Amino acid sequence: MSVMDRRSFFKIVATTGAAAAAGGCGPSAEQFIPYVIPPDNIVPGIPAYFSTVCRECPSGCGLIAKNRDGRVIKLEGNPDHPTNTGGLCIRAHAALQGLYHPDRFRGPLAGGKPVTWDEAEKQLTDKLGALAKARQGARIAVVSGLETGSLGRLMDEWTRLLGARPRIAYEPLGYEAIRAANRVSFGRDAIPDYAIGDATYLVSFGADFLETWLNCEGYTADFARMHAFYQGKQGTFVHVEPRLSLTAANADQWLRNAPGTEGLLALAMLRVIVDEGLQVGGAADLNTLRAAARAGDVEGAASASGVPAETIKKVARDLAKSRGGLVIGGGMASTGSTVTDTLVAVNLLNAAIGAVGTRVRFGSALPLGKASPYSDVAALTQAMAGGQIDVLVLVDVNPVYALPPKAGFVDALAKVPLVVALAGRPSETTARAHVVLPLLHSLESWGDYVSEEGVLGLMQPTMGPVQVEGKAVVALSTGDVFLRSGRKALGLEEGKGPLKWPTFADYLKDEWQRVARDYGSSAPFGEFWEGALRRGGVWRQPASPAVVLRPEAGRVQAGAAKLQGDGTHALLVYPSSRFYDGRGADRPWLQEVPDSVTQVAWDSWAEIPTETATKMGLKRGDLVKLTSPHGSIELPAYPTDLVHPGVVAVAMGQGHKFPGVFANEGNAATGTSSQAGYLNVGANPMELLPGAVDPASGGLPHLAVKVTIAATGGRRPLAVPQAQFNQDEREIAQWVELGSARETELRGRPPEHANRPSMYPPVKYPEYRWGMSVDVDRCTGCQACVLACQSENNVPTVGKAQVAYGRIQHWLRVERWQEGAATQPVNMFLPMFCQHCEVAPCEPVCPVYAAYHTKEGLNGQVYNRCVGTRYCGNNCPYHVRKFNWFNYTWTAPLDLQLNPDVTVRQLGVMEKCTMCVQRTVAAKDMAREAGRTVKDGDMQTACQQTCPTQAITFGNLKDGGALVSKLSLSSRGYHVLEDLGTTPGVTYLKKVVRSEPAGGHDKPAEGHKA
Amino acid sequence: MAASANVLGVFAHVDTTVQAIRDLRAQGFSDLTVYTPVPVEEIEHEIEKVRPLSAVRLFTLVGALTGTATGFFLTIWSSLKWELVTGGKAPVSIPPFVIIAFELTILLGGLASALAALILGRLPKLTPSPTYDPRFTLDRFGVAVACAPDKVDSVQSVLSAAGAEEVRR
Amino acid sequence: MSTLPAPLSTTSQATWADVNRDVIRTVSMPGDRYFAWMCLVALTLACGVAAWAWQIWVGIGAAGKRTPQMWAMYITTFVFWIGIGHAGTLISAVLYLFRARWRTAIYRGAEAMTVFAVITAGLFPLIHAGRMWFAYWLMPYPNQRYLWPNFKSPLVWDVFAISTYLTISVVFFIVGLVPDVAALRDSSTGIKRKIYAVIALGWEGSDQQWRHYRRAYGLLAALATPLVLSVHSVVSFDFAMALVPGWHSTLFAPFFVDGAIFSGFAMVLVLMLPMRYLFDWYAYITDRHLDAMAKLTLVTSLVLSYFYICEVFTAWYSGEHFERASVFAKATKEYAWAYWGMYFCNCLVPLVLLSRKARVNTVILYVVSILVLIGMWLERFNIIVPGLGHDFYPYTWGTYYPTVTDSTIIVGSFAWFFILFLGFIRVMPSLSIVEVKEVLPHPLKHAASHGGHH
Repeated sequence: MSVMDRRSFFKIVATTGAAAAAGGCGPSAEQFIPYVIPPDNIVPGIPAYFSTVCRECPSGCGLIAKNRDGRVIKLEGNPDHPTNTGGLCIRAHAALQGLYHPDRFRGPLAGGKPVTWDEAEKQLTDKLGALAKARQGARIAVVSGLETGSLGRLMDEWTRLLGARPRIAYEPLGYEAIRAANRVSFGRDAIPDYAIGDATYLVSFGADFLETWLNCEGYTADFARMHAFYQGKQGTFVHVEPRLSLTAANADQWLRNAPGTEGLLALAMLRVIVDEGLQVGGAADLNTLRAAARAGDVEGAASASGVPAETIKKVARDLAKSRGGLVIGGGMASTGSTVTDTLVAVNLLNAAIGAVGTRVRFGSALPLGKASPYSDVAALTQAMAGGQIDVLVLVDVNPVYALPPKAGFVDALAKVPLVVALAGRPSETTARAHVVLPLLHSLESWGDYVSEEGVLGLMQPTMGPVQVEGKAVVALSTGDVFLRSGRKALGLEEGKGPLKWPTFADYLKDEWQRVARDYGSSAPFGEFWEGALRRGGVWRQPASPAVVLRPEAGRVQAGAAKLQGDGTHALLVYPSSRFYDGRGADRPWLQEVPDSVTQVAWDSWAEIPTETATKMGLKRGDLVKLTSPHGSIELPAYPTDLVHPGVVAVAMGQGHKFPGVFANEGNAATGTSSQAGYLNVGANPMELLPGAVDPASGGLPHLAVKVTIAATGGRRPLAVPQAQFNQDEREIAQWVELGSARETELRGRPPEHANRPSMYPPVKYPEYRWGMSVDVDRCTGCQACVLACQSENNVPTVGKAQVAYGRIQHWLRVERWQEGAATQPVNMFLPMFCQHCEVAPCEPVCPVYAAYHTKEGLNGQVYNRCVGTRYCGNNCPYHVRKFNWFNYTWTAPLDLQLNPDVTVRQLGVMEKCTMCVQRTVAAKDMAREAGRTVKDGDMQTACQQTCPTQAITFGNLKDGGALVSKLSLSSRGYHVLEDLGTTPGVTYLKKVVRSEPAGGHDKPAEGHKA
Repeated sequence: MAASANVLGVFAHVDTTVQAIRDLRAQGFSDLTVYTPVPVEEIEHEIEKVRPLSAVRLFTLVGALTGTATGFFLTIWSSLKWELVTGGKAPVSIPPFVIIAFELTILLGGLASALAALILGRLPKLTPSPTYDPRFTLDRFGVAVACAPDKVDSVQSVLSAAGAEEVRR
Repeated sequence: MSTLPAPLSTTSQATWADVNRDVIRTVSMPGDRYFAWMCLVALTLACGVAAWAWQIWVGIGAAGKRTPQMWAMYITTFVFWIGIGHAGTLISAVLYLFRARWRTAIYRGAEAMTVFAVITAGLFPLIHAGRMWFAYWLMPYPNQRYLWPNFKSPLVWDVFAISTYLTISVVFFIVGLVPDVAALRDSSTGIKRKIYAVIALGWEGSDQQWRHYRRAYGLLAALATPLVLSVHSVVSFDFAMALVPGWHSTLFAPFFVDGAIFSGFAMVLVLMLPMRYLFDWYAYITDRHLDAMAKLTLVTSLVLSYFYICEVFTAWYSGEHFERASVFAKATKEYAWAYWGMYFCNCLVPLVLLSRKARVNTVILYVVSILVLIGMWLERFNIIVPGLGHDFYPYTWGTYYPTVTDSTIIVGSFAWFFILFLGFIRVMPSLSIVEVKEVLPHPLKHAASHGGHH
């Protein structure tokens, strides 16, 4: 008989164990942690947190990645990072679904076929080498995203060594006009930081700074600082845009102007200020201002824009008088032929009210100022078309989708002999590349990023390369690809010469030696480096250089944007707050989270003015064909009063054309595949735009064409979870006029339940009574909380069909309620989730105690006990209980993101918000170890943590000192549907508005209170 | 005295049957079994005169009370097991428990009554009694008399006198 | 006028022997038409079962439920079937205690209907539950961890109310059957005889058996009587105890009970009229019976109309915005057709029964009954689906659309009921031999001596 020695015994055990695991429970054996040599920072069951930088858009917010058992399961904002100060937007949260996307390249491709890395790389390096040797480097071109850190420098070094064309840092949302205007006005080719937080009176000419404009996440936080009701005060925000964007919805006054008339309005306001001598500032400026003001014409602007002259005058005066004014502009949707002049006018206004240098800071300039203007891309396209490019390296960019077809990039691309795409996931661009070199996700790689002058974020791998089907993807970080390919092409050797660093990590460390010197760190580099890794980077406040207005600015010309075509409506192409320029469109989370204003989830739509819709007999979901001189697209109509009658608005980001796991239709009855079929849904509005460069700014005009609307007769119903925006006098979202808000703050509000006697003894809470407060005045409706909750609590996405049929699974939803005139409503965003009522209607009706009240005031839901009678779901007046209609699943490897601390609910059970009970438990454990009880601030719920405006506060209501307790007693506090006597644990704070919305106060039906 | 013989009289009419019962009683024959296709008040009346009221109601009462007690015990005791608060109500709240108690009262009361009918009525009856005749479920009445063998003739005479259309032993 | 052929024996002076003959005739070997019907019903049932299997497989989402209508047609049909049962109990128990002699001809069929209706209704909580395989958790069964149901939940009250109702109805039903089965036993032969013998428990009709039997029967009737009122009251609590506008009403208990009896009588008529025709029971189910049942239907209909008015009035008079909006939505929004259909079927149609002609005209009776059944189903639908669809929270308002799955299951439930009933009438006496005899004049030799007795 054979004797089995210990070693082989373990082999067998290991393999069988692995097989069992792989066959049995989702994540395969590789997920298990080897205990022999545990990886750094990874203790099984204990999460490790890594700080890094979010790379979903050029803002570069600071991230904290929660790594549990070797995989990142949650992203949170880095509270220390100056850019986002702890908040995070939906796109950042969805980075996880990019990381774990089922479509991620498993390895290199050549001609669409899998090859080894060396083979793929050889194709590139041979060609590069040949060209370099032949002094033909100019036939090499590199297009990357905006890389403001070491990687950018490395790539530039690479191009220099090969003698290639200067690298193009391509950002589809380039904001060239802002730079152009600054060149004219101040002689600076930069994008300053706008200190919105310091302003008391903000006027925005189409700058959607709560959605995508520049450093939007940071600005959202700043906006709360400037605008949220605090100690009886509140800043004023006036927004000028033809369409009610999310930003406009948050304005105290939304000026619905005719498209492209922002410049006229700005100059008109300047005129008013100068004429009435309200301006501040030196004499030199004054002449320039006077010169410019001459171009301003209030009446003309009024008639052209449709904004009453009185309004223009009033805004101008208030702006100037506020002595804390700030004017911004240049949202992509408003980039028309005259956008540069508009922004010069904006600069002039800022100069006139003394904002330049104080609230407009060129010192901390934004990285977008360094992006290559669209004109460069156009030039490259010319060169490609002209056959002057032999090798084109595309680094994680998707111009094929993002550029208008009319730009001719696709045809030009076909003329390039070797197109190499570096990318993590397939896209329209990679589909056309000869060679695809897979990139590691930014969460898997080293790097750094300057998110504004003086703020240098440091990126570190937050986990090893993702395993797809149990095998780690074969990929490298961009830096490593460039180091290796550079060396190979130039025949250099590792360790010496210009590209001596074996890995990009080494290069980065060397770069940071210099950073350490720059930031005057006296500590040894080791400490400095460690500190930076912990903190997430290094930052300092750079001095703001004095800028002077140049006389050229005085020659600003007023004029409305010229639009091509003889269409009936101006086409408004606006960047999507969910998909940005379209890079987020392959993520179920982003697809399912509803657009805040229209509340449409999935698909894309055309916002059509009600007048037009009624004239054409269009209902929501009827397919319409939009035709411009450059092309035509088909979309479901979304009739709305919230766009200018002369406008059709379409968001960017949908209508992709590439294959993927989710691209093909599946059976709606089974979880994941119900998400299928959305990837290529919708239409890409860029197909309607001309590709021509705007001569003044060098950018791509997005407001450039008129379109004709034609009903196709087809229908494609939209998935809109919110049945109606009118609260039908139910006082769900409440508001209070500023004056009375100030008053009542002094008086306070009557005590709870005074008028509500109960038959039952008061419920006792031994230690804690968890509760929340939500400030409707602070909520901007950014939806970040929804995705934070979804990623924290393993909430499945259910697909368009299910969402359309009222089966959306989000535990937390952001409702938009509007009051007053249909065209000028007061908008209120109300995050609604389980209210954890003390007298919860859902609890007593449950036949099996699955729903019950915990001793800590939570409305508990025991999934395992739930039988699925759904009685609780009926009896919950807020309808925040979600039922598992089907067995919802996650397509591997998306399931690797699931939070091990939260049960994945199975078919047929009810689920709902738990106030992140798993976090409460963790906090209590920590407190116990410290021998105390949970203090205020020990823990945050996922929604609270991510909220950029701190609208949500969680805590122990029994602790009088806790912030939540104070807020719950606020004079603005109220409970939703309070009269039902459910006594919720969540208190809402009324939105503070400037004046009663037309149609009067939200009065209950007569006798309602009787 | 132990009866050793059975005499059966088959009647076609109610009144004759009643007559027979009366006469037999008068003659001192008390051990009678009367078969009827349907319950007939006259006959019942005649028989019940000399018998205590059926004990079924006792069963019913006991069953019903047991039900009530069980109802309250089960609800209160089980609520105290975990003392879970739902909707701010006290774990033991009597009004809803009354419903459970009521239902169990009816349930056990009903079952007890049915049980009584079986036990007291000696059902199920596995072996048919010798004097039974299938006609008794159709349209004939039967009066069976258990008596000492020497009394058989007098019984027969009484039965035929009463109007039995058939008499056999 | 009746389109049925003139009855063979219109005399109600049938002898006891006739009764045995006429009833036992019905349990003889059935004909082809009967089997044809059975096949049709069985096929429908099979579809229903398949649909249910599919729903269990993919999940309750296969039914058209959604937020806010987390309840829909299943609960509607559940309440419908429970309601049907009530007429049976009313006839067999209440009318028994009131000594309403006309009940004897119909009570057996009515009781069978009750039992089968409740059995059918009992399926729906299972069909409805998201995890039906755990539905037994609603039962209080001893277990290690002392996990007991929540006795404060109306659903647990339902469990008790309905299981009690079912048990008592079944017991009552079987007790009533025993003497009749004995009669069947004595008139049949071979294997049939053996089977009946077992079921008859050796019943002989001796005075010993009768006296306890009668006592027990009376007491059962007394116990069943409160059930007539309690069961549907408890079912109504499922709604009345909830917060939903249009549900949260003290009106519901009597409202539901009346509706139940109303629909029950309609169902009795729907079942009895064909049986009377096919089994040629004109001698036993006479126009007098039809008239009486029609009158009861009419009365319950009028009471129901009163409740309908109350419902709308309270909604208006309360001044409660939610209540008003809810009623308004029911009457005007996407489900208006169901709302007005309900009024038509339950309030207007039965008014024809004011005329005696109509009350004894089988065709009219039949049509009215069918419409009433539809109307009562719609009533429950209106309470549940539009009620939930337009409740407190405008964000989630929405329309429920039935799917193939749930529709098939609903139809299947009717097949299930009829397969039970059709089966029953061919193996058991669906007319009570004993009780019909009881009300026939008893055979007397000297009629005078007992003339004018009761």
